Amino acid sequence: MNKGVGGGGGGGLGSAAVGAGSGPTAAAAAAAAQKQKSLLQRVETDIGNIVDNFSHLVNVSRVNDPPVRNSQEAFMMEMRAARMVQAADSLLKLVSELKQTAIFSGFASLNDHVEQRTVEFNQHAEKTDRMLARIGEEAAASLKELEAHYYSSAERASQLQNGDLR
Amino acid sequence: MDGNLEVSLDKLPIKRLDSIEENGVERFPPDVGYDETRLSLIRRIDFAWAVEKDDKKKQKKSSKESSTPWQWQSMVENLQLAHQELSVIIDLINTVEANDAVTVAGMTRPKPLPNELLSDLSASAATKLQCFRHLGKYFKQSANALDQQVAREARFYGALIRLQQNWKVKRQRGAASGPGSEGFTIDLFDNSLYDPAAVFRPSSLSTIRVDHDSAGMLSINLPPKSCHSLQFSFLGGHSGESLQEPYKTKTYSSVDYRSRESEKESMSDDECVKETHSLLRETHQAIFDEQVFDLVNREAFNPSLGVNVTGIRENYLQLSIGQGTSVFISLVPSSQGDQTAESLGSQNLENAILPLDSLEGVKLPEEEHDTPKKWGFPNHISYEIYLQQIFHEHILVKAKEKPVFTRSQVSGQGAKDGSSLLGHFCLSLAHRIFSNKVLMELENVVCRVPYLQLISHPTWHSRTSSWTVFMKVPQSILHAGCQARTSNNPRVKNVIKSQFRTKVVVNDDCINIEGEGAPNVLGLFKGNSEEISSMNRYDCDLADLPVTILQQVASQVIGWLHEEALSVGIKVNRDFLCLSFELEQGEIVSLVAHVDPEDNQGCISWWLVMEDGFAEEQKLHMDGSDGASEYRKFLGHLSLDVLYSTLMDLVSLCSGGGSQ
Repeated sequence: MNKGVGGGGGGGLGSAAVGAGSGPTAAAAAAAAQKQKSLLQRVETDIGNIVDNFSHLVNVSRVNDPPVRNSQEAFMMEMRAARMVQAADSLLKLVSELKQTAIFSGFASLNDHVEQRTVEFNQHAEKTDRMLARIGEEAAASLKELEAHYYSSAERASQLQNGDLR
Repeated sequence: MDGNLEVSLDKLPIKRLDSIEENGVERFPPDVGYDETRLSLIRRIDFAWAVEKDDKKKQKKSSKESSTPWQWQSMVENLQLAHQELSVIIDLINTVEANDAVTVAGMTRPKPLPNELLSDLSASAATKLQCFRHLGKYFKQSANALDQQVAREARFYGALIRLQQNWKVKRQRGAASGPGSEGFTIDLFDNSLYDPAAVFRPSSLSTIRVDHDSAGMLSINLPPKSCHSLQFSFLGGHSGESLQEPYKTKTYSSVDYRSRESEKESMSDDECVKETHSLLRETHQAIFDEQVFDLVNREAFNPSLGVNVTGIRENYLQLSIGQGTSVFISLVPSSQGDQTAESLGSQNLENAILPLDSLEGVKLPEEEHDTPKKWGFPNHISYEIYLQQIFHEHILVKAKEKPVFTRSQVSGQGAKDGSSLLGHFCLSLAHRIFSNKVLMELENVVCRVPYLQLISHPTWHSRTSSWTVFMKVPQSILHAGCQARTSNNPRVKNVIKSQFRTKVVVNDDCINIEGEGAPNVLGLFKGNSEEISSMNRYDCDLADLPVTILQQVASQVIGWLHEEALSVGIKVNRDFLCLSFELEQGEIVSLVAHVDPEDNQGCISWWLVMEDGFAEEQKLHMDGSDGASEYRKFLGHLSLDVLYSTLMDLVSLCSGGGSQ
């Protein structure tokens, strides 16, 4: 179980390492590889811990004759269990660290996303501008029409004839 | 060894008769070997007292255990008992060895009986079982806790990733900034946009800390009145109006929503993220408003055209922009927008510089009551938006040099360096107010002269406005004949105009009028009709605008009549607003236009003036009471058709003398 998980994790991260190796600078790539190695090591340590402690736990679990040994074994069992939980906790912290790294270092996807949003917003702005322009033109056209209509309307014509204004 | 000491005496070592048989044989007990003697001696030692003591102690201890259990107690007791037993045995062995009576060869543990074995086993198994159960509980608890932690983190990081798609999330390494926080901040200050030379101090709002709320979900906490928004308004004009803008109430509602604690738990993650997003957006806008205010302040104190600072307080700037108007620009806290803005507005009423009386008295017949806001002041919201927009464009254009939009007014108005943005804004506002006044005057005029039309020309320029006063004259019935005639007479214009236009253009606060029939002094001297009716362009004041327009129109009418008369072949003289016909006896009949902008029945009225041709010097004396050489008749406000027919009548009067 240990090896299987370790192998799977190693395979997944190995491809990321290849990607990082083709990055901008050799120093950055080396640092990334180093970091990846340390992370993997931590993973393996933790998982080894868990498995180790579990096997000890199981070993110590048999029922022995003298009660003294049983008490001793009880304490041992508790200790092993606590170590297992602690290893699990540290694994979880590792996971959250990885998540943080993903948030802050996924530059390719971030950049893509930012550019996409920029394009969207620019289009939106242009659309709004065009709409404003169109509104302006329509307003001007309506104004012209209304003015022409008013000045050629019957009301004005009657004013014209009577020479009489309210 | 507290018990009673018992002493047992050995039997004397004499042979005792065991039994006698009938035949007299004596049976003696068999001789006890040396080892057996020792063994029997040892066996005679009574350990019952020790065993009893153990039992008693055990009973005592068991009664004590139920009251104060200590996990090591049983072990201690067991060890003590064992110790005691051992000490007894060692004493015995030492005594016996000292007496040289017996040496201990070896001791074997008595083989336990099966029920003892089983009971021991069961006790151990039970203990172990308890241990297992305890461990099981512990594992379950840990698993739950870890599950919860995973779930919390998943929510938190999920929300953070979603926020990161729109905002800049930063991580603080090193010392955590506070309990429960992992050192994430959201940075709202955009370094790339601003000119490093103009030192923009990052606002205190720029960096927002990301916290966990009680449920482990992402939350941001802003101090309650930290966000300010920009407000622009006129002084003294809006006593009754709420200074709140409709488009900002939407953000207020989100702030209220945020403060309702009880609803927080029922919000899904999506809503939580959306709300955080909108809070961040509000803060971003508040930062932008603060920067705009900052820029406005800086520019206000650079001397530039159109900007006069008349008052300054904290977060408040008052400017006088000409046209007798004052405006103020202030930063108000967003959360209490309603009360603060109203109190600010009422305070400013007391400090109002401008009374609005100068804008009242609109002469339109419909506008009896004063709604001076409508005519005098443009909408303050639109100018607030305009202020924000031009500063935004300035910032963007300067920093990124991206191509500006087609209708951007800043770019269309030439290269604007930073120092004149506020000046441009104030001038635009002043222009708007001024052009409203101009429009009012023009409409007054056009309303009262029935044959005039007003056409507006939107210029899409914030400091230029333009209108055309348009007059359409009746189509000449002799038009066709006139055209045939003009081919012989090149001096007369080929086309008789049927439309006259007077263009009024306002640039900032200069009125420029362009039209035909403008008074051209040279043309008057030459008496040439072409010169008089050339296009002319001149400036004008607001006060003189109505008169000027009316004179322009009247001279256009006169020009038209002149053309018409010429087209029928009558010799007429034109003198600015007067058209003179010569009659047979040397009498001169003139049609004179009189313009009066205050006339409510129509601004252009017509007089018929008859003069004796020989008394020309008396023309200079314009007293109407002298009726000897002059006769005037008021014709009234005539329409163009009536004027045309009057002209034809006069033409027929003259036709005996002057037809060619």
